[in-house]
Amino acid sequence: MHAVDSPATAPPAPIAPSTPDKPTARVRRRRRPQWTPLFLALPTLVLLAGLLAYPLGRMLVLSFQDMQLRHLFSGATPPWVGFDNFTQVLTDGVFWGVVRRTAIFTVVSVAISIVLGLGVALLMQRVSNGVRVAMVIAMMFVWAIPQLVSAQIFKWMVDADFGVLNYAIDQIPGVDFTNHSWFADPTQGWIVITTLVVWAGIPFLAITLHAGLTQVPQDLREAALVDGASPWQTLRTIILPILRPLIVIVTTLSVIWNFGLFTQVWVVRDSKPEQEYQTLATYAFTQAFGRNEYSLGSAISVITVILMLGVMAFYVRQMFQIGDVD
Amino acid sequence: MRHRIAIAAALAATLLGAAACGGSDDSGANDTSAQALDGKGKTIKVWLMVDAQSSWKEVVEDANARFTAATGANVTVEYQQWANHLTKLDATLAGSDVPDVVELGNTEMPKYVFSGAFAELDKGRFENSANWLQGLAGPCELDAKTYCVPYYAGARVLIYRTDLFDAAGIKAPTSYAELTAAADALKAKNAAGSNKFAAFYMPGAYWYAAMSWVYAEGGQIAKKDGDKWTGTLADPQALAGLQKWADLVKGYSSGDVTKDESDQAAIFAQGQSAMFYGNGWEVGAAQEQRKDPNDPNSELVATKVKGKVAAAPMPGIPSFLGGSNLGVAAKSQNQPLAAEWIKYFTDTKAQEALLAKAVLPNATNLLDKAATVKGNEATALAAKSSWFVPMAEKWADVEKAAVLQQMLRDIVTGKKSVADAAAWADGEIEKTLNG
Amino acid sequence: MSTPRSQRSRAGTVAANTVGVLFVIVMAFPVYWVLNTAFKPASEVLSFTPSFFPQHPTLDNFKSAIKAPFFLVDLRNGLIITTTAVAGAIVVGFLAALAIARFRFYGRRALIMVILGVQLVPLLALLIPLYLMLNRANLTNSLVGVSITYLVLILPYTVWTLRGFIAAVPRELDEAALVDGCGRWQTFYRIILPLTGPGLVATSIYGFIQAWNEFIIINTLNNPETQNLMAWLLQNQTNRGTAWGPLMAGALITSLPVVVFFLIIQRNIATGLTAGAVKG
Repeated sequence: MHAVDSPATAPPAPIAPSTPDKPTARVRRRRRPQWTPLFLALPTLVLLAGLLAYPLGRMLVLSFQDMQLRHLFSGATPPWVGFDNFTQVLTDGVFWGVVRRTAIFTVVSVAISIVLGLGVALLMQRVSNGVRVAMVIAMMFVWAIPQLVSAQIFKWMVDADFGVLNYAIDQIPGVDFTNHSWFADPTQGWIVITTLVVWAGIPFLAITLHAGLTQVPQDLREAALVDGASPWQTLRTIILPILRPLIVIVTTLSVIWNFGLFTQVWVVRDSKPEQEYQTLATYAFTQAFGRNEYSLGSAISVITVILMLGVMAFYVRQMFQIGDVD
Repeated sequence: MRHRIAIAAALAATLLGAAACGGSDDSGANDTSAQALDGKGKTIKVWLMVDAQSSWKEVVEDANARFTAATGANVTVEYQQWANHLTKLDATLAGSDVPDVVELGNTEMPKYVFSGAFAELDKGRFENSANWLQGLAGPCELDAKTYCVPYYAGARVLIYRTDLFDAAGIKAPTSYAELTAAADALKAKNAAGSNKFAAFYMPGAYWYAAMSWVYAEGGQIAKKDGDKWTGTLADPQALAGLQKWADLVKGYSSGDVTKDESDQAAIFAQGQSAMFYGNGWEVGAAQEQRKDPNDPNSELVATKVKGKVAAAPMPGIPSFLGGSNLGVAAKSQNQPLAAEWIKYFTDTKAQEALLAKAVLPNATNLLDKAATVKGNEATALAAKSSWFVPMAEKWADVEKAAVLQQMLRDIVTGKKSVADAAAWADGEIEKTLNG
Repeated sequence: MSTPRSQRSRAGTVAANTVGVLFVIVMAFPVYWVLNTAFKPASEVLSFTPSFFPQHPTLDNFKSAIKAPFFLVDLRNGLIITTTAVAGAIVVGFLAALAIARFRFYGRRALIMVILGVQLVPLLALLIPLYLMLNRANLTNSLVGVSITYLVLILPYTVWTLRGFIAAVPRELDEAALVDGCGRWQTFYRIILPLTGPGLVATSIYGFIQAWNEFIIINTLNNPETQNLMAWLLQNQTNRGTAWGPLMAGALITSLPVVVFFLIIQRNIATGLTAGAVKG
């Protein structure tokens, strides 16, 4: 088949984004009938709209009302309060503290995860088969462990009384960690939570990126080696550009997931996170369900989405750029 | 623009209206005493907390059997987790397919009673209702009407190691001064060579305990002036109580100060603590555990401190009266049957069966009987000198937001002074209760 | 480049292997600790001096977990719900991904924005309206309602990721196929589908994990007879302290089938990828 030869000989698209065939491709595409893609996307749109439109609309409406438990039970329409909920949330110093904490956690945890994930993916290409299989199995186990459980495991391991971590550190001569509380100091507590999130996130990143790496044509790399490129140069000039779409995607996803951090904090802090451990997700949940301030909770969620959109604007632009190249 | 707003409003009205069209009909007090109930072919759904499943399932089954024999109706019991039951309850009560009977902790109850979640009940139909414990029945009352039925209670007592007390030549303390003296003696004798040893194990986020110290000094958590709540933890008496409690934690406890009381029995069972402040059932839990925690009939396995543990009322410290209540959902289609089931589940026969499970009964006349059951003597005594949280609609929100835990952690970790932490908590409590 | 290439890479492999083994140890330690805890009797689980091996290994925790109410029912439910949600999301999502990756049409950007935007919404904020909606449709306490919910939950991710995998198939390939006289469906079957096969598998793994691990929604929507194993695990914590032994045993039982499934699929990913690269 002719098709077989073309990927190897044609330069991968991201490397040469401005090949002259682009305009022709545009012209050709424009001639395609419009209804095919819409037909393809229809089931997705129907499902999303069918299940999410009402809850989303309700959330939006709620954020402009003052809904209490009695309205929920009786079904009575809560009073309209305009932008009061938003004013209340946005003028609250606690809320901004939560936003800052969530943002810092997201940046730090995503950066560490992506770098480690890529490192592991590259490592998987260098190790011998046996070690690679061991790495894959270890990661599959970690990946298969439910979030709920992994959070409990970490809570269990860092427990001040029964945990293995304090016990192990305590074995070092001259160190007394017997009653050390990992959560009394928020910095230490957040190190534990970040470790948990990164640990649980690496399998997905490493395996996805490794799958992406196997798509890097071997000839390209060998050519680079023959040309005398150092491994670092090969990584920068050949591997990373090819992986870029994938990296953008996994980074985007990691940002979305880590920004929405909930389960881990919730479990590790016994479903009652202290202020120093509140993230946007737990804060909104505590307001809505803990205190039954559904309207405040909705307002926080709306603000969260807007904040996220702002943060994601960069990535969205990247996506569209890649989309244009496609 | 105006047009758009009108559309939005209409849309919202439709959405909310649609949500409201469940099966709710405005029913007042259910009058069930007159007619004989025929529940043939009907099934009522009961939501109990997990304690009933793990500790007194046979009491539930017995009540079900008697109920079914009398009415012909069947019962499905679903057991809920304390950690997330309110979220599920809120969503469920907003819909139309609701449980007929719901158990709630007594501090959680007021919010739901105020919000109209429960149907009015005829108090006189329930056995011992004239003698219900105030800490349980109080949250059930609103405008002289009754909306729930007390189920069981719990009180906290001093639990201590008899062998360590004997070795130190001391007896169970009868005053707070004796308590600290005992703690000093135990610490002097046992603390050397072990940094896990606690003369008095007291976790830092154990707010039921800390507030007991506050009430002991004549303080309280909050008080109502007119229709406004004022936080009173920064009042001198309350501060004195908090200080005394903090001194106990810092002087005699060990371990993670950010923990709450949930695993104190397990920690005590390690044999490294001489005293702790626990629920009646924790006397047993510290000494033996079920081999299979999911099977209440499995054999008991002794811990390191088996046979060396006793309980006494905590000297000079009133106990928080915790417990659970049962309500009939306002949206229930089977209100008379649901009330009937509660009648069987809270009658004297069922309550007496509960006594053997190291919890306290729902009425004072049964309390004396409880005091004669082995293992319940101290708790029954403790229940007679008890305090309860502020009877405010939104009190449960204070608990949910963990305001008191946060204050206590700030105190014991030294992040804030007692006065600063208490002032902060007062602010949060006022914001919540008046919000 | 004075060192011969083979020698340099041999030294490199040794170093890489060392790092790889260290990585395995670090990653696996918590898993090992679950195993260790699951085989310990209760008296050893709760100990101030935790031992690194069970002194008296026992299967009691596993027996306890399996015997506990609803374990087998919830296991079955979880499998049904997850399979339905993942299969549905893959089929539906693949079509939408194809549209985004291979077509330029009016509303494409809007579609991408919706796909991305939906993922930003904190799901827990929708819990109560979701419950009310499904309750009215008689879909609470049923496997159908929660399956659809999970399908929609993983759908944006599925579309998003599959788009990337489809885009990675060089457009020249299907254009060449079209030129060769393959019809559009033939092009799809013979070029795009085989080449994105590994991507489908990888994407379904993630969907599987999401659906398998969810517990807050299902705990709110359904009763124990129609919940999954995560909600069941939650049930294993009593008010009177967590039963760590049975919890860890339950966690292990819950995870094992998934691990096995993954390991099988992992081989397929690898073969899929090589097949895609070599055979086209």
